[in-house]
Amino acid sequence: MNHPNDIQVDAAVLSLRGVSKKIGSKKIVDQLSFDVQEGEVVGLLGPNGAGKTTTIRMIAGLISMTEGDVFVRGSSIRHEWKKAIRHVGAIIENPEFYPYMTGYDNLKQYQRMNDWISNERIDEVVRLVGLENAMKKKVKAYSLGMRQRLGIAQALLHEPSVLILDEPTNGLDPAGIREMRDYLKTIAREEGISILVSSHLLLEMEQLCSRVVVIQDGKLVTVRSIGENNASGHEQKNFVRVLFRVGLLEEAKNVLGSQNDAEILQVAQEQNELLVALRYKDIPDMVTALGAAQIPIYQITELKQSLEDEFLKWTGGNRIA
Amino acid sequence: MRSFNKLVINEWLKMSKKRSFFIPYAIVAVVAVVLAWALKRWAGDMVGSAFDYTAMMSSTHGFGQFVAMLAVIFTAGMISSEHGMGTIKFLLIRGQSRGKVLASKYVAALLFALSLIVWLNVISFASGAVLYGTEHASGAWRDIWIAGGSSLVYSIVYMSLTFMMGVLTRSTGAAMGVGMAAIVLSGITIPKSFYKYVLFPNVDLSVYSHGGHPPIDGMTLPFSIAILAVYIVLFLGASFVTFKRRDIA
Repeated sequence: MNHPNDIQVDAAVLSLRGVSKKIGSKKIVDQLSFDVQEGEVVGLLGPNGAGKTTTIRMIAGLISMTEGDVFVRGSSIRHEWKKAIRHVGAIIENPEFYPYMTGYDNLKQYQRMNDWISNERIDEVVRLVGLENAMKKKVKAYSLGMRQRLGIAQALLHEPSVLILDEPTNGLDPAGIREMRDYLKTIAREEGISILVSSHLLLEMEQLCSRVVVIQDGKLVTVRSIGENNASGHEQKNFVRVLFRVGLLEEAKNVLGSQNDAEILQVAQEQNELLVALRYKDIPDMVTALGAAQIPIYQITELKQSLEDEFLKWTGGNRIA
Repeated sequence: MRSFNKLVINEWLKMSKKRSFFIPYAIVAVVAVVLAWALKRWAGDMVGSAFDYTAMMSSTHGFGQFVAMLAVIFTAGMISSEHGMGTIKFLLIRGQSRGKVLASKYVAALLFALSLIVWLNVISFASGAVLYGTEHASGAWRDIWIAGGSSLVYSIVYMSLTFMMGVLTRSTGAAMGVGMAAIVLSGITIPKSFYKYVLFPNVDLSVYSHGGHPPIDGMTLPFSIAILAVYIVLFLGASFVTFKRRDIA
């Protein structure tokens, strides 16, 4: 099961090749391979316990791989860790700092570990995350959101090519989540940095990523581009799911049920709603038929399959965290 | 080498930026001054000069053992606090090898112990000079060196043990407990020949000064130094091997 390393590892900023982690006889991560291209924001999606954190930690070299390898700008994490890790910035779980030191002292710690980081670079990243006024405060006085921002500053300090983030919005309030998302998008756009972000928050991934890698039980389930499904959704021949809210439920059921190529998926008695699967082009006919039977129609909604639905489909439902 | 120095600076700052950092220095200073005054007041003829007092204070029978305890307390938290705070994740993804990171921590711990012993000597000498004067016989400097040196060795041995326990257990309490227990146990000597290969009777090298008798027959200064060296290599070896291979979960 050796994956050849000659698959253009140089083209991608980050490449995983058959990465596995075995603890005892249990495979936490099993033959995982995917790429992250220049400037791309990729989501690593999976239910709790799917191996997301383990994967992220293996990319950073915090956990050893049992099999396979990770390449960052063509350098192997296994064999040239120093060369490879130079291009990686990471926040793994919550960003943790020395609480009794100021934000600036904390960044200074990391500056001393890579000699190419100038004082100007510190000022630059601090400005980027908007922490200019908090640099002289001790980190223990920071809010979680500020700590996250200092985490981003820390990760960007050494001018990496790829940012890997493990559950970056964990514990943040909605405003904080949005802010984080905006920062990440800005960074990807302005600094041209690729981002790999793990999460189980689907909506989050939908809004942030251009592509998601779905894993479950350590195995790759699917790789999807976000937005791909919506584009083809309106084609005439495709089936869509439409929710009808009507006045006379029983009659509507009879009318819709008797139509060709329409299937009632769900009946919600209390809300007077019918979920019907039918062809897009048949929607006007359906409305005419209901109208002809003198059934009042209050609302017609097309239900798009969200990433969430797909995610549940891919991962076999109810395991979502 | 320059990058290693910077790592040591980092470690030193991590210790010294804590508010509790100055407590051990304060304790040492207060005890050294108060004791000098108390001895003068109630046992006036016991101490001859600042040299006597300094040698007495910095020896392992004086305050040297206490310095070792302080060093053990500080060393115990060095590794486990990084794990506990979660900062270890950032520390180990900056392109500096794990071996280097751990070595910088050990060097910072050594510097801490050294600074405490120097501080102890300076304060003892200063307070001794004020209260007893600085008249001295020949060999007075030598006594201070022996006392301070053997205290330093004593501290280094138990710090290395604590350092290893800190790496292995990732628990401040366990590391501190083992380090302290070892210091207490070092006072007990089992008069059997096998015991001379155990760490404890060898730790205090000052027993060989002034023609003193070793705790167990057959022990000599080079023998003790060799035994200590072997133990320190073992402690550090175990620390580095474990630290380099560990998965940071």
